[in-house]
Amino acid sequence: MNTATDTLSASAGHAASGEAAHIHLPGPSFWPILLALGMGLVTTGFFFWATGASANWWFGLGAIFCIVPAMGWATTIAAERRHMDPAQTSTDLRRGFLLFLVSESCIFGSFFAHNIYLRFFAPAWPPPGAPVLATQLPAIGTLVLVLSSFTVNIAHHAIKSGKITRAKNWLILTIVMGIVFLGIQAYDWGFLLQFDKFTISKGVFGSGYYLMTGFHGMHVLVGLLMLGLVYWRLERGDYNNPTYSFSTDAAAYYWHFVDIVWIFLFFTIYLLKF
Amino acid sequence: MSTEVLAAPAPKTYSGLLDWLTTTDHKKIGLLYLGFAFINIWLGGALAGLIRLNLFNPGWHIIAPNVYNQLITMHATLMIFMAVMPAFAGMGNYLIPLMIGARDMAFPKLNAFSFWIMIPAALMMYVSFFVPGGASRGGWWQYPPLSTFQFMGGHGEDLWILAVILLGISSVTGAINILVTIFDMRAPGMKLMRMPLFVWSWLVTATMLIVALPVLSGTMIMLLADRLFGTGFYRPALGGDPLLYEHLFWFFGHPEVYIMILPGFGMMSHIVPSFAGKKVFGYKGMVYALCAIGLLGYTVWAHHMFTSGITPAAQIYFSICSMLIAIPTGVKIYSWLASMWGGAIRFTTPMLFCLGMIALFTFGGLTGVMLAIVPFDIVVHNTYFVVGHFHYVLVGGSVMALLGGMHFWYPKISGRMLSEKLGHWTFWLIFIGINWVFLPMHWLGIEGMVRRIATYRPQFAFWNQFISLGFFFMLFGGLLFTWNVIVSWKKGQPAQADAWQVNDTQQAFEWMTSSPPPVHNFDEIPAMPAEEHA
Repeated sequence: MNTATDTLSASAGHAASGEAAHIHLPGPSFWPILLALGMGLVTTGFFFWATGASANWWFGLGAIFCIVPAMGWATTIAAERRHMDPAQTSTDLRRGFLLFLVSESCIFGSFFAHNIYLRFFAPAWPPPGAPVLATQLPAIGTLVLVLSSFTVNIAHHAIKSGKITRAKNWLILTIVMGIVFLGIQAYDWGFLLQFDKFTISKGVFGSGYYLMTGFHGMHVLVGLLMLGLVYWRLERGDYNNPTYSFSTDAAAYYWHFVDIVWIFLFFTIYLLKF
Repeated sequence: MSTEVLAAPAPKTYSGLLDWLTTTDHKKIGLLYLGFAFINIWLGGALAGLIRLNLFNPGWHIIAPNVYNQLITMHATLMIFMAVMPAFAGMGNYLIPLMIGARDMAFPKLNAFSFWIMIPAALMMYVSFFVPGGASRGGWWQYPPLSTFQFMGGHGEDLWILAVILLGISSVTGAINILVTIFDMRAPGMKLMRMPLFVWSWLVTATMLIVALPVLSGTMIMLLADRLFGTGFYRPALGGDPLLYEHLFWFFGHPEVYIMILPGFGMMSHIVPSFAGKKVFGYKGMVYALCAIGLLGYTVWAHHMFTSGITPAAQIYFSICSMLIAIPTGVKIYSWLASMWGGAIRFTTPMLFCLGMIALFTFGGLTGVMLAIVPFDIVVHNTYFVVGHFHYVLVGGSVMALLGGMHFWYPKISGRMLSEKLGHWTFWLIFIGINWVFLPMHWLGIEGMVRRIATYRPQFAFWNQFISLGFFFMLFGGLLFTWNVIVSWKKGQPAQADAWQVNDTQQAFEWMTSSPPPVHNFDEIPAMPAEEHA
């Protein structure tokens, strides 16, 4: 055993030889630090806005420094992956993305924990003064969102098997369904705000309702953006190797995630009555 | 539809500052992390110095109570989020790819992002001292109602919350990167159960980070909304519940404690056997103990809340679970002791730090078991006994392990040895300093000195003056270490590939490549030696 180790250290002890020339390492990149700068600017902007100061410049600059580096980053990765083992890089990216979704569900988890804890320990639930939420329209929204998980699945498989027109059609349908869902949510919010005069500061029920549906709605919006990007790339004929395309996987996973979270949300907020 | 891998163009390179700003090399990013932690441990230490200055005499009132509260809050914040966590992240970044025989992390650019996103967060923390009303003064827990706008005006608190959310993004993206690296990039033949223990410790830590940090973000989003948008999540007047905040915070906060010690355990498991000239004792037991601590760490959070009004049944449950953690922790400590048993021990600086860590951490762990006993905890809750306890595990445990690890891997990182003589001095100064400063806190606490108050009853003056003098041990130890690191970087003895001759008994990949490693880490990825069957 010792001999094996010794030969290893001996061979590794050689200075960089011709071997090294074949090793691919990713080059330096400005995108990470610029994106960090952008997110810092947006956070600072949020701080000024939320504390009542003017924040337009911060938001404007921050948006530029978020969007440009994000796009540059994605383009760089796409270019780099042509020099790497596509199966391995897509496994890496998929696993990383799934772990990201785990962390996302933990943020939602903290909101759910808040809601469920209060149901057990609050003197009365729903608290006095909370409006009775209408369930018919959100139920339709739920149905639309659940169905859109199936349609995105069809589109996803179509891309993988190279059926681009079919993929585009189902993708459009998914995006329309997502927009319908968001429309229903917006109508729900508007109704509560306008007729029930029910706002985020009218008690903890409203705080939880608006935070959870709002946070989820933001995720639907991001999901739509991702689906839109996939559509745009289909239009451009970008997917020369769809088997290993990560962006389609990411968009589809994200959409399923948003759907699953909503099912829990719908049960907890709208249906659970104790 | 081509799946072939095209030949890569040579990547362009920058030099000087631009190189550091744009690097995606895990070794350079690891160094950036370590540098960031280095700066913040000095800043956090300076705040500790001011705290000790104020506590030197109960009648001086050099620092206004309002400012004192900012000092203790920011001391904890800097040390936890911006010193210990990045220091471990830096060591992990530098060492994990080397230890598993990889050329870089799975996502090199995301790695750079994880580091750089900490900079705006750090700036927001620093700036918060200068906004009207000053920095956050709620302690690092930020319990409402103290942290609500009603009791804590000014916007330093809001900056604190936003900065912590940014730091959370850094930790989670970093943890994802480390997990994927560990899963996908191990050298051929390196099965999970043959991975170096430092890598195992980071596997568990990163898993904990991915679950715990988002909960902190969610909790903080609700707190921020309570402060700025009039929501009622934690406000009883609106139907919310401040106790719920404590549950959510400690659901993150207690795993966080293990996040800050497990990588240290991992380093110990390399250093101790290396200088005993033996293989680590009970590898499997060590791995299972790490996993057990990681799991149990999620079941004990309310032992921080024994006096907050939880039911007796809950107290018993959380008390028992907390004590259970002593079992896997004991497995680790006994395995280190057994790793030394019958070995030819070399008392190098890293080994000294590890031996000191075993002693100090065991002590801190035992006071932890005491605190898990509900009646005892009710008596000493929020006294200096608790302060003494967690400084023994954090400074005596995490920081000692970190210093051991830095002395141990410094030759690999810099290609030069640290001065052993200065290293020994550093160790004794820090080791004496820790006991000098934190040991008297235990009896001060039992006698009733309450923490987080800018002054105290006069009968505690003697021991407080004693403690404040002990600060200088830590200060000189820190200065010596800094001096040693800076001077040895250029002038130290050149280090060999296997700087400590550990590979006579270990098969550590990181000691098989040159010191410092080439950009691509290994000219040839080392192969795992054949498996031994006992």
